[in-house]
Amino acid sequence: MGAYRADEDYDYLFKVVLIGDSGVGKSNLLSRFTKNEFSLESKSTIGVEFATRSIRVDDKVLKAQIWDTAGQERYRAITSAYYRGAVGALLVYDVTRHVTFENVERWLKELRDHTDANIVVMLVGNKADLRHLRAVSTEETTNFAEREKTFFMETSALESLNVESAFTEVLTQIYHVVSKKALEIGDDPAALPKGQTINVGSRDDASAVKKDGCCSA
Amino acid sequence: MPKDGSSSPNLVMDNPLSQNPDSSWSRFFRNAEMERMVDQDLSRLYPEHGNYFQTPGCQGILRRILLLWCLRHPECGYRQGMHELLAPVLYVLQFDVECLLEVRKLYEDHFTDRFDGLFCQENDLSYSFDFRKSSDLMEDEIDSYENLTKIKSLDELDPKIQNIVLLSDAYGAEGELGVVLSEKFIEHDAYCMFDALMNGARGSIAMADFFSYSPLPGSHTGLPPVIEASAALYHLLSHVDSFLHGHLVDLGVEPQYFALRWLRVLFGREFSLSNLLIIWDEIFSSDNSKVEKHAQDNADSGFRIFNSSRGAFISAMAVAMMLHIRSSLLAAENPTTCLQRLLNFPENTNVEKLIEKAKSLQALALSTEILSSMPSFVECHTKGKSAIARSRTLSSESISPKTPLTLVPDSYWEEKWRVVHKAEELKQDGVEKQVPTWKKGWTEKVKLSLKRTESDPSSSRTKSGKKESKLPVRRCLLVDLSKELGFEEDTEKLCCHDNLSATVEEEQREDGSEGSNNYSPEDRCLSQNTSSEENSPVISCPASPPNEANDHKDDSQKSSVGSNLSLDIINETSLSSSPIDSPLPISDHPENGPQTPGRNNINNSAGNSTTNSERKLNKFQWLWKFGRNNGEFMSEKGGDTSEAAKPANNCNNQSNTTPSSTANNCNNHSNTIPSSTAKNCNNQSNIIPSSTANGHRRSVSCQGESTDQNVMGTIRNIGQSMLEHIRVIECAFQQDRGQGASLDNMSKNAVVGKGQVNAVSALKELRKISNLLSEM
Repeated sequence: MGAYRADEDYDYLFKVVLIGDSGVGKSNLLSRFTKNEFSLESKSTIGVEFATRSIRVDDKVLKAQIWDTAGQERYRAITSAYYRGAVGALLVYDVTRHVTFENVERWLKELRDHTDANIVVMLVGNKADLRHLRAVSTEETTNFAEREKTFFMETSALESLNVESAFTEVLTQIYHVVSKKALEIGDDPAALPKGQTINVGSRDDASAVKKDGCCSA
Repeated sequence: MPKDGSSSPNLVMDNPLSQNPDSSWSRFFRNAEMERMVDQDLSRLYPEHGNYFQTPGCQGILRRILLLWCLRHPECGYRQGMHELLAPVLYVLQFDVECLLEVRKLYEDHFTDRFDGLFCQENDLSYSFDFRKSSDLMEDEIDSYENLTKIKSLDELDPKIQNIVLLSDAYGAEGELGVVLSEKFIEHDAYCMFDALMNGARGSIAMADFFSYSPLPGSHTGLPPVIEASAALYHLLSHVDSFLHGHLVDLGVEPQYFALRWLRVLFGREFSLSNLLIIWDEIFSSDNSKVEKHAQDNADSGFRIFNSSRGAFISAMAVAMMLHIRSSLLAAENPTTCLQRLLNFPENTNVEKLIEKAKSLQALALSTEILSSMPSFVECHTKGKSAIARSRTLSSESISPKTPLTLVPDSYWEEKWRVVHKAEELKQDGVEKQVPTWKKGWTEKVKLSLKRTESDPSSSRTKSGKKESKLPVRRCLLVDLSKELGFEEDTEKLCCHDNLSATVEEEQREDGSEGSNNYSPEDRCLSQNTSSEENSPVISCPASPPNEANDHKDDSQKSSVGSNLSLDIINETSLSSSPIDSPLPISDHPENGPQTPGRNNINNSAGNSTTNSERKLNKFQWLWKFGRNNGEFMSEKGGDTSEAAKPANNCNNQSNTTPSSTANNCNNHSNTIPSSTAKNCNNQSNIIPSSTANGHRRSVSCQGESTDQNVMGTIRNIGQSMLEHIRVIECAFQQDRGQGASLDNMSKNAVVGKGQVNAVSALKELRKISNLLSEM
């Protein structure tokens, strides 16, 4: 297929999962990031929904394949499939509902049980626009994030605050992890992405590296 | 819900900080959490119909029903999605009651019962919301009642309204039905209906199972029900369209990623509420009781969802949906794109057509052979082989298919392409020479066997002999592969002693006789009675000429010039249905070109029947199996539809006689892009070319249908389906180009490789053909 295969030009494809309690605004974060849309009347997610968006970091195009999962914890039937191959995660809670922050710990545990240790996790406190209703302080989360060695950001999908930077930060960090891995292997990072699968996770099937243009199909 | 721990004797266990999940406090917290979850989901229920579903009255009803049901089923609890199973139920009840109230207001005199007034006088706040204001969806219908003038006698009323009046007559013949449409009992009814839906009312499909994440007791797969059902969808899909199935599997699109949502809310997210109700009507009108699967002891093995006709319909519906967006799925190159398309089902879907398709697939889902959970390609392989063994004496056609589907090498198309091109040039002149004498003798034989057959020359058919040598090279490629993959022969043998076989053979003769219409219609009856006894002679007839005959025929067909698009449809037909050669082992036949006997003679003389009957053996089994009486499928639907419908019919009619052939056929008909663009197919080794199906269909239409109208309808559909496939290919090309370049631009582009050019020009030609076809 040669040169005609490249329908999308990207250098890296990363699978990122959006997790967190039901109703914290995961789907709206996603639609804000991928479509710049926000809806006050969105339905609850059932199962999983998908979206993609590519961003440019350095001179590389990173394509994010984002899995927006249903918040209800009981969807365990397929959780392991959700997490499989994920190299990044946005763990979302609602700054106006403290219980969603309390559950972050459980989400984190589940995440770490199902994914590789190198996964990039960002804690996202959503609905930051509802300042008068705030129930989770920034300090509280900052401490927690430091302890758990995750990234942290407060966002508002409604006001489009920090949404872009949260996703970009996660993707950039993943990219750094990948590049660092390549360095450790001892190769020139520029020579790395030659149709080779980067093992950020142990058996990483979704987040492969793809050279734009002429990879052999 | 105890809120006070002190009422419990055991304070060690029952205190608010207790970690014991059985303590009343932890139950309390769990229930509070459930309430919150229910409220949260209800607040997001059908925002597009918020003026009904978001009213406090409606929310109250939904909330009470959900909470009560979940409390009564603690093992299940509340799961997201349940609310969307309940909401349409309540909506329908409310709608009906509202209709009744309207009618009642207008035709008060006719209502005799005062049931509500007698028994339910207390005013319940929950019913006091203004329903009329909220239900814009219903207003059209309700308005129509208001336009009616007052009528005195019940008999003068519109039958629909009469019905409403009668149904609500609490003291009439229908007795308690009056209660059914009572405003006071909407909530009760909704609860009962929801409960029946969730628990399956002792039937096979219980929606609650789809929310459970532990395997059901007695499950053979050991998977949670919803995962098992998702796998069942793929299993069914693999029988119907193995190429699409293969594509999805190759991409790593696991069925539960999308089927979880489809199943849990019974397609509620994929269709608008009004369309959803149509689909639900269909689902709930299917019997939910367990179907007794005959013939197998282990009937319970396999997938539970196929155990009832309702489950079969649900899975058939899902497969029909996948087939509906087939081309865009095939064009998708990565799993995320696929899933996005699967989870954003097109809104402007014709639901009736989908349901029709689903109904035809339902039979397949219920058939016994779907039970075998063996991967379909394995089946194909083994069964294909046995088919060959069994049918070796049938005809020379059956010699070929030794190569299983999965073994077509990547380079196959390119090679084939080259060979045929060369052969084409070689033989252009050598086509029209002379008929060998043995051929005539053979023709006589066929004539004899045709003696008792009615001739039925449709106008389109009689043309068939005339232009055989004008076929595009590309067709030959497709035909070759289709033959290589043709497994149909076994049917014939299997049903030899069946009464039905008489019909098949008769059709064969009928067709064969077209070149020489000497036979009177009355003879038909005779042949019907006798044909069973004559099975073997008739069947073996085509086998008697040396294999050369087939080679010759093929040669002449291949000698056509690719660009010659004079396009006699029938011409196409005969090409695509020409006997099977195995392209791989017998790829030398193009080189035999010069010795080709005169095609024209054969075609124009009675020799025509030779070819036809040879071909028939193959075609007719197919035709018969796929329901030759199902012209309506073909004339009403586009290619995919009829394609999908056929295997199902096949099973319907034949699951007893030809248990092994269905899978093969299904696979054969998974028409695909790559055929014409050799480039595109190299990673799918189990592909069958699109023209397999097209060719078959074509031959069906020309030979099986007795009226021109049907033929034309079919041809038009074929054209359309071809166009559809071509669009897929073009789509793939355009993606490859990274921009929406038109085909012309693409072919002129300097970077384009030679193979690419070929493929593109092939595409263009195909497009011309299909345009012509669809304009017929």
